[in-house]
Amino acid sequence: MAYRLEMRDMTKKYGNFIANDKVSFSLAAGEVHAIVGENGAGKTTLMRMLYGMEQPTSGDIVLGDKKVTFRGPEDAIQSGIGMVHQHFMLFGEFTVTENIVIGYEPKQAGFFKRKEAVEKVRLLSEQYRIPIDAQAQVSSCSIGEQQRVEILKVLYQGADIIVLDEPTAVLTPLEVRELLQTIRNLAQSGKSVILITHKLQEVMEVADRITVLRGGKVTGTVSREETNVDDLARLMVGRELQELSERVALERGPLLQVENLTVREKQTLLDQVSFTVHHGEIVGIAGVSGNGQSELLQALSGLRTAGEGSIRLGGKDVTNQSVATIRRTGLAHIPEDRYMWGTAKLESVEENALMGYQRKPEYYRRGIVKREAFRQVVRGWVERFAIKTGSRQLQELAGNLSGGNLQKLIVARELGQETPFLIAAEPTRGVDIGAMEYIHQALIEKRNQGDGILLVSSELSEILALSDRILVMYKGKIAGELARSEATEEKISVLMAGGSVHGSSQRAR
Amino acid sequence: MAAVKELGKSLVQPLLAVVIGLLTGALVIAAVGESIVGTYQEMWKGAFGSFYFFTSTLARATPIMLIALGLSLAFRAGVFNLGAEGQMVLGAISATLVAVYLPAPGMIKLVAAILTGMAVGGFWALIPGFMEARFRIPLLISTLLFNYIAVLFASYLVTEPFRDRTGSAALSQTVMLDKSVWLPKLFAGMSVHAGFILAIIAALVLFWVIRYTPFGYEVKMLGQNPLFAQYGGINRIKVMLTGMFASGGLAGLAGTVEVLGAHYRFVDGALTVPNFAWTGLMATLLANSNPIGIIITSILLAAFQTGAMGVERNTDVPLELASVIQAVLILFISAKFSYDWWKKRKTKGGESHGAA
Repeated sequence: MAYRLEMRDMTKKYGNFIANDKVSFSLAAGEVHAIVGENGAGKTTLMRMLYGMEQPTSGDIVLGDKKVTFRGPEDAIQSGIGMVHQHFMLFGEFTVTENIVIGYEPKQAGFFKRKEAVEKVRLLSEQYRIPIDAQAQVSSCSIGEQQRVEILKVLYQGADIIVLDEPTAVLTPLEVRELLQTIRNLAQSGKSVILITHKLQEVMEVADRITVLRGGKVTGTVSREETNVDDLARLMVGRELQELSERVALERGPLLQVENLTVREKQTLLDQVSFTVHHGEIVGIAGVSGNGQSELLQALSGLRTAGEGSIRLGGKDVTNQSVATIRRTGLAHIPEDRYMWGTAKLESVEENALMGYQRKPEYYRRGIVKREAFRQVVRGWVERFAIKTGSRQLQELAGNLSGGNLQKLIVARELGQETPFLIAAEPTRGVDIGAMEYIHQALIEKRNQGDGILLVSSELSEILALSDRILVMYKGKIAGELARSEATEEKISVLMAGGSVHGSSQRAR
Repeated sequence: MAAVKELGKSLVQPLLAVVIGLLTGALVIAAVGESIVGTYQEMWKGAFGSFYFFTSTLARATPIMLIALGLSLAFRAGVFNLGAEGQMVLGAISATLVAVYLPAPGMIKLVAAILTGMAVGGFWALIPGFMEARFRIPLLISTLLFNYIAVLFASYLVTEPFRDRTGSAALSQTVMLDKSVWLPKLFAGMSVHAGFILAIIAALVLFWVIRYTPFGYEVKMLGQNPLFAQYGGINRIKVMLTGMFASGGLAGLAGTVEVLGAHYRFVDGALTVPNFAWTGLMATLLANSNPIGIIITSILLAAFQTGAMGVERNTDVPLELASVIQAVLILFISAKFSYDWWKKRKTKGGESHGAA
């Protein structure tokens, strides 16, 4: 079979570091080929070489039967390769059509022929069954719609090979389903799709073949029929995944009691939210991001003022207390955005680990932080969570750690506080499977010790795997509550979209 | 060892800026038609050429160093205190008045004057701090404007109520201080005084505070990522106000030791004309807010100024040569600022590729 694209023995070295080691990859017409692998496995490097953003150290790219060299993305686009980046590159003030035709506008005597452009976009949208309002302004489009604009843009530019980089990371479950359908449609009409992702479930739904990368090498190229999620995970991680520990049943007194919590700014961001987290319980909060979860976490941890309502932690009223006071009362917090809230990137691992410990009696004596004693503790974390800190160890800059390792450091720091209550917001976002296992295991262990955890995650699989009870947030309110035994992905999805679930304990407390 | 390495690293870039500054100065000298080597020799002699000149350089470095140390603390916390001039002048006039009018023995009067100078300078810096905390008035603007209030108010005080009317009285100045409250000179007949020792001690204390205390840690983290600091339970307002007070206090001390160790009276304009405050700002930027580095950069910048005086005495190159070199320094330091900012932005953008 003749392939549309072949990459043969692609190798890319950065100094002594080999990012891609003889990676071979092929793509047929009408095929969906997924590339999966953990962070740092070399997926990005491979795609950057395909898109002309990096030059391979050795290896060939063959398009049809011709060897090609791309000096930049323009060359790749000319040859029919289009890339949809994880972060969209759109002009919010422009319309959908303008964003799609930009750079290749239909023109007459130097004037932009708007009508023709709109017509072209409509045709394209019908041809590939990608619904979009061609004249809407992009800033008013949802994330899913913006992604469609990006896909239409590469189609308009004449791409036969479409690279989708982590396309589902930012989408709601419903949008994910639509996207997977779009991918199938594209393949049916003869386009080839390269899907870069770490979500194996989606891969199994849509890919024809799957190439797994680990440590810059291909560990397997398999067709969907002959593999399953577990096999893929094994190829990615290089070992068997462990089962989570058993959940121990515990007698459960209330730990965090939230009553009618309301946060208003220009509009009501959090509306009369009430719930309880008990000792020995993980309460999961599901919801499309932007439905009040951030505001809830910030109000709980003292980073935002609550307009109404009360928060009691371990029986003590902590409503609108300072962050330091709430933390002293017994809260630790894995923040939702590790770069914005959780680290100082230009400081060392040690300095980042010290946050919250600098005035603890164990590490503070006669006006001085006891650095050596604290370093011992951090070394313990590094060992327990297998944090890869790089050559400078604790003095390495936090910004140089990979996302997963940095997240493990933050998790270790917050668990190390040994507080009865923990907020875990998106604890495994952008983290590879290995790190995810560590973090999930640590959370379950904390629960089994009798501590309470509020888990906020946009990954339903994570919510389902860890939570004892699930609350779904929609438009600043709690739209429904499901016990672990009755929760399914479908029920949660419906609640997340503002629907109601028959038979669920709808706000019954 | 790590400290030495950090210091060395923070000095590479400023040294480069100094070299480029000197090269630009060379162009100016050539344009005037003087010998480049000869002029720089004169400059060296003027700054370090004899023990007398060397100690004059140290004396000039003293207030610059104290101001720079104060600013470095504020900068590390991510707070822009541009009000050092006002804090220095107000501290100095208050210290002078205490030294003149407090009915107490000399030694106590001296200590009281120094403490007053620091407290008033610190207090003057606290007001914009409160304004920022309470009303979100940007420190950058308020501290800058507070300079005018302080300098003009001090000027009024020595022109009207506290003017020395005993002497020829042409100048706006207070009466001469009693000898018992003078800061001692370090060497007989030389201008460097005990204030220099105070400045060195201040640098060491600041170095220690930043490196080893929780407060130093909090200041640093606040400067690096205010949201992270807040999330970790650091009280931004408390740290900011403490930083402003210390910063203003050191500026007040700078003005105080200049009065008690060099002028022995408050003379209107004597602290503002030599541009101590802005040279101090430059010394901080040049040393990348490293307290030990500031000792070096303050002496260096003072040397340019005393050296340029030597140049003017002995050649046809004007005093402004020092200004040219300093201007180039500023240019290169700000270039570094924008470069760092650009680099930070770039790494932030680069994260988008981290997930695959």
